Amino acid sequence: MVAIQLMLAQFPKLEQWNLRPFVLRTQLYSSVKDRTTVDKELEALKQQQVVRMFKLNSGRDDFAVMLLEDYVSQIDAAKQRMESKHSSDTTIVFDWFQNYVLGSSPDLSISNSHLVSLLSRGGKTTDKQISVLINAGFLVRQMSDSEDYWFSIPGIGWAMKNLTQGRKEVTQLLRKRQSKEALLSVLEKRKLRSSSLGMRFHLRDLLGSSVLVSVETTSGALIRLAKR
Amino acid sequence: MWSGIRERELGAPPWRYAASVRRMRSRALELCKTKDVISSGRGAVNSLQIDPVEARYMLAGNGNGSISVYDISQPTTVEPYSQKHEALFSIDKAHRYSVSSVRWYPVDTGIFISGSFDKHINVWDANTLEVLMQFKMPGKVFGVSMSPVSTTHMLIATGTEDYRIRLCDISSGAFTHTLSAHRDAVWAVKWSASSEWILISGGCDGAIRLWDIRRAGCFYVLDQHRSSASQEGNSFPLVLFCFVYFFEATEISRAAKTSKDATPGRVHPGLTSALDRSTAHYGTVTSLQTSRDGHYLLSAGSDSRVKLWDIERGCNTLVNYEATNINGNLTCELEVSGDKPLVFVPCLTSIQVYDMLSGRLLSTLKGHYELVNCCAYHSQSQELYSGSNDRRILVWSPKQSVSEDEALGTIAAQVQADEDNWSD
Repeated sequence: MVAIQLMLAQFPKLEQWNLRPFVLRTQLYSSVKDRTTVDKELEALKQQQVVRMFKLNSGRDDFAVMLLEDYVSQIDAAKQRMESKHSSDTTIVFDWFQNYVLGSSPDLSISNSHLVSLLSRGGKTTDKQISVLINAGFLVRQMSDSEDYWFSIPGIGWAMKNLTQGRKEVTQLLRKRQSKEALLSVLEKRKLRSSSLGMRFHLRDLLGSSVLVSVETTSGALIRLAKR
Repeated sequence: MWSGIRERELGAPPWRYAASVRRMRSRALELCKTKDVISSGRGAVNSLQIDPVEARYMLAGNGNGSISVYDISQPTTVEPYSQKHEALFSIDKAHRYSVSSVRWYPVDTGIFISGSFDKHINVWDANTLEVLMQFKMPGKVFGVSMSPVSTTHMLIATGTEDYRIRLCDISSGAFTHTLSAHRDAVWAVKWSASSEWILISGGCDGAIRLWDIRRAGCFYVLDQHRSSASQEGNSFPLVLFCFVYFFEATEISRAAKTSKDATPGRVHPGLTSALDRSTAHYGTVTSLQTSRDGHYLLSAGSDSRVKLWDIERGCNTLVNYEATNINGNLTCELEVSGDKPLVFVPCLTSIQVYDMLSGRLLSTLKGHYELVNCCAYHSQSQELYSGSNDRRILVWSPKQSVSEDEALGTIAAQVQADEDNWSD
């Protein structure tokens, strides 16, 4: 839990996209030694409704962890944006979403029938309201032919692009070198061209997913590309 | 080691000392210097199994369609510092195409079955080396399995390219069951180690289903997002046989409820789980393995994850096995029985050894030149046999102490000395 707080504090502040800080699960693996405890604690925190997990569609299975209060504030912000465009009986769905859906299903995905039944506790749900939720970015249709949705974070597109490009850049940096390794202090000083998430963010993520390995040396930590 | 003996002197039970010795030995595996299995060497080794009855014979299925059997306790030639085990016999044209999996008959070593990519399953007599029975499948056979604890049936469960799982009966030579609920090819089938009626199957659609063959339809689908912390009110109660009839009643009522929401008309109670799309892995499930006591199920997927499932509660135990690079093709994994079981997972060209319950990587066994396909663990001598695409079978055994090496050397030297100085 402490690790989550630490990393969220280091997330870069960018107001123009209105994105709240989130942490990748691989970053938690890199800071806590035992991975099984990370998984179990995340599960417990999910059940206690302190954090929410989201599945990111980056090809590999990445998960983003966000504090529930941040997510709720995003819902409010989205609601205010939509007030101007739609009538108030469609925007009321944001309140229903927050009150009923978030509370009862801490999972990563939800089926259409379940969603409708939960939203109906507030009032009559129409398809238009669900499309408003999708447009705002809180729900994403799953690729399979069933009618399930993944929960998602609005404005995640910018973060995903930066994430994949930043990962590629960091691994390329190390691959180009002859010895496929570099000192941590040297790496941290470099600025990334393609990603504004920060070198530290990407380093933690890659260390946690075992693409990079950290070795202790007499001149500090050394980051090496793991052999395949 | 000496503290264990001291405890034994003071009255600790013998099994505890034996278990701790076995545990120590199984954690110190390395390439065996003395024992060598000479594989027939003409095709990649796709599947290995040590016979469950006496743990003496090892069956190997090769990629060129041949099957070989090795005796792993009696070497064929003994030289100083090495024992060579060659194939006892080898059936060259067992199948037209590659043999994907071979299994001994669980009761004795007189029969073994082999499944191959030529869509046939052959049942062989091990003494005469003839085919007793042949079953033709609708697609390439990826896995065969027989129940190790069955006393009433002799069914072979087969996973093929076709979406359905077929059960073949050796005693009658016919297909008894067809289990359909998977949406894609079935790569791994395994019978439960605790019940002779429960079959577990994993497919290319990423789902792991549990079937009770006495009833219609699969009764459970493992979902990777459901762990013990999140038991919802409408989850399936599992396994206990005395609740079978109660369970059927609830299933029928649930079917009636979902049919009101989704489609008009009744859905057959056996098919309600076909609508359940939970996945156990994000890619395909490449192999399944049950623990000896039947409580846990290990599954490996092409998303490079190995997951441990608690079968009785039907949930993911969330044990995280650190980075594994599993090939998207078929693999086979095995684990150790005992207090603290180990999991051996073939990853590309090496085998990684994990502690099953905590997920820690204990060691990596490197020795093969190409992809490792399968491994088999010999629990009595704590040895691991692994077969790979480089057509070799390697033996991994616990580190031998220096004195044992010297003893072997002195015996050999004495033998030589006698040979020189004989005289009447």
